[in-house]
Amino acid sequence: MKDVSFGQYYPATSFAHKMDARIKILIIIAYIVAVFLVQPFHFLGFLACLVFVIVSTIVAKVPFMRVLKSIKGILFFIVLSAVLQIFFNANGKVLLSWSFITITDQGLLNAGFLIARITLVVLGASLLTLTTSPVEIADGLESLMTPLKWIKFPVHEFALIMSIALRFIPTLLDETDRIIKAQKARGADFESGNIFKRIRALIPVLIPLLIGSFRRADELADAMDARCYAGSKKRTKYKKQTLTFRDVIGVLFIAGLIVGIVFLNKFYLFLVI
Amino acid sequence: MQIISVENVSYSYDKQNMAIKNVSFSVQRGEYVSIIGHNGSGKSTIARLLNALIKPDEGEVTVDGLSSLDKKNLFEIRKRVGVVFQNPDNQLVASIVEDDVAFGPENLGVPREEIGERIEFALSAVGMTEFRKSSPVRLSGGQKQRIAIAGVLALKPDVLVLDESTAMLDPRGRKEVLDVVEKLNKEQGVTVISITHYMEETVRADRVLVMDGGELILQGCPQEIFAKKDVLTAIGLEIPPAMRIAEKLVARGVPLPSGILTEERLGEELCKL
Amino acid sequence: MQIVAQNLTYIYSEKSKGLAVRAIDGVTVTINEGDFFGIIGHTGSGKSTFVQHLNGLIKVGKDKGGLTVGEYDLSDKKCDFKGLRAKVGMVFQYPEHQLFAETVFDDVAFGLKNYGKDLSEEQISSAVRSALEIVGLDYDSVKEKSPFELSGGQKRRVAIAGVIVTKPEVLVLDEPVAGLDPRGKTEFIDLLHRLHKTFVKTIIIVSHDMNLVCENCNRIGVFSEGKLVKEGSPKEIFSSLDQIKELKLSLPVTAFLTEVLKEKGVNADNDFTEDGFVDAVVSAYMERKRGDK
Repeated sequence: MKDVSFGQYYPATSFAHKMDARIKILIIIAYIVAVFLVQPFHFLGFLACLVFVIVSTIVAKVPFMRVLKSIKGILFFIVLSAVLQIFFNANGKVLLSWSFITITDQGLLNAGFLIARITLVVLGASLLTLTTSPVEIADGLESLMTPLKWIKFPVHEFALIMSIALRFIPTLLDETDRIIKAQKARGADFESGNIFKRIRALIPVLIPLLIGSFRRADELADAMDARCYAGSKKRTKYKKQTLTFRDVIGVLFIAGLIVGIVFLNKFYLFLVI
Repeated sequence: MQIISVENVSYSYDKQNMAIKNVSFSVQRGEYVSIIGHNGSGKSTIARLLNALIKPDEGEVTVDGLSSLDKKNLFEIRKRVGVVFQNPDNQLVASIVEDDVAFGPENLGVPREEIGERIEFALSAVGMTEFRKSSPVRLSGGQKQRIAIAGVLALKPDVLVLDESTAMLDPRGRKEVLDVVEKLNKEQGVTVISITHYMEETVRADRVLVMDGGELILQGCPQEIFAKKDVLTAIGLEIPPAMRIAEKLVARGVPLPSGILTEERLGEELCKL
Repeated sequence: MQIVAQNLTYIYSEKSKGLAVRAIDGVTVTINEGDFFGIIGHTGSGKSTFVQHLNGLIKVGKDKGGLTVGEYDLSDKKCDFKGLRAKVGMVFQYPEHQLFAETVFDDVAFGLKNYGKDLSEEQISSAVRSALEIVGLDYDSVKEKSPFELSGGQKRRVAIAGVIVTKPEVLVLDEPVAGLDPRGKTEFIDLLHRLHKTFVKTIIIVSHDMNLVCENCNRIGVFSEGKLVKEGSPKEIFSSLDQIKELKLSLPVTAFLTEVLKEKGVNADNDFTEDGFVDAVVSAYMERKRGDK
């Protein structure tokens, strides 16, 4: 349990890994916008997005299988949306009709469109989490949220909470493992019975875990106080994010994709014909 | 020169049971002081009083002439008195070693460049420089505790308080931590106040304070303290094994000098026979 | 119940290449009924992984050796693990961190209710009473209390009571004295000996405390890098110290002093308990005095 790597960070020292987390977050947001800009049936647009993902994966030196694996988690969701589209979209030419189910060409196309869209979004987003450690993402978000200070949003506190949460996830996983083992040793059974029985069986794990977390929180608060913590007032920050040429290249790359898609949207018909 | 003075201090957590009763002592700059007592003797309350995590109900604690009763001295006191707590997992705030060490200086508003220098100094003082970019989760207990010490050293304190900092470590980890602390005391002149229930650890101290039931019942150099074996056993403390063996031998007619605390010394004396 | 491990091996994250770690590697050992068995070694040497096999918390993998506890064959998939766990109690480090119930009574009774579904109320309360009494708590004054309002030492006793309430024949303890002060430690060891005289026939204790192990165990196993590198009585383990020193393990005081004397040419052979050592030194001293005359 000690080596559980939460999130799916893939440690490496590639071009993409070395990019500034803030830029990577912005690029991925822009990329998601780009995917949504692609109009229905413009499959060339999707191809462009796919090329973006493939090139990024190569640049990030992440195995393709690792990127593809990210779809596994939401496969059920993708299939469900596609099935709903196929069976319940009544527009367009009817291809097949059987009792309450009608399959139309429009339905099939929509399903394909949906699958392409969701898959591309997930692949792109997974590239961010594969090349950026959770800590870097938290730091990047903090920095990007700085303007929110103007509307009195507690950006610093929010960032600190995120970073402490990240820090304690492995510790709490360890502790959960230990408590489960201790209760199993006293005959607790987590594997049999119906769902209600199983939820009830978790009480002897959840309560010690909760109490343990409170104890940790208390001790951590003392340790932070002892190290002169006093909120964000006059606090400095050691970690400094600096932009490099890599970030410029990244921005140009995504800008190219967006321009390309907008261009496609305008002149798609000409290109295809 | 005196750095800490505790005068007639009493403290209660719940306004009913006194955790500390009328305790007075002082600590000189550069001294290595051990405070021993069994669990619940009030020794950990002393640690919290010394760096102004709590304020005395009665009496006064002053650090470098600054009284903890005055609220505006709070951060000045915490800057001078660093505390390392018992559980290594519950006092590290960041997921990367250098970020954790930076936490204290960041709180003080130290400029960025200087934080970098302090991290370097603090990590090398505890011999953890090579782990600067590592995640604390993967370190051993002794290493985590050394990082916690580094986090405190980065505040450049005059006094290092160890509140049972070795209680959760294995023998190897305990030795690592004690060696680092002894080095800091000898080479950097850091004043050390080590709170423990391991009698062996107090052998290193210049002076030992014995707590029981919230009161300071004995103080003196290790030899003087251990000579009062009856008092120690009566309050549930244990004399070091080497000393116990020496006493058994003397009782059986083997002539050994008094005041043997360590096994090394006992070995020497046995060889002289 | 006799415990027999044959070439027992366990590999963490075996499927992911590169990450695989041999936590224990070909451990063969027999622990007899009646043993007070100590397990020593550095953190990460495989001690904890080994003992967690003994009640099936970690299952014996296919082709990873054999393990039997009494009549239970743990390498058999159909092994009755529940029945086994009632007979092999396990106390983890900081056992007080597993307390969860509203009352001390309910917490101690937890294991009992898990194992014996058809016990009567009277049977349960009498078992809880005797468990609390063995660990030195007064049944009537603590049974209705919340375990969380007790002192640290009392919490740990309640947790132990919750393990021994099923009267296990084998009791496995992983670093049980961690965090206890000297008085708590002494009381705890007394409790172990008390249990060893009643229904607990075999005690297996994992500890970093060499003096504790030397003083209380009749047999000791030394783990290093997943292997059981040495096994025998304290006398056998500490008579030659080369291997122990090579492993950078600390020495029990008695072994350290015996070694010092040996280097000086004084033979003070003993069983490495404190009293045994004192006896040996006294007789060596007397002999020399006689010789001097």
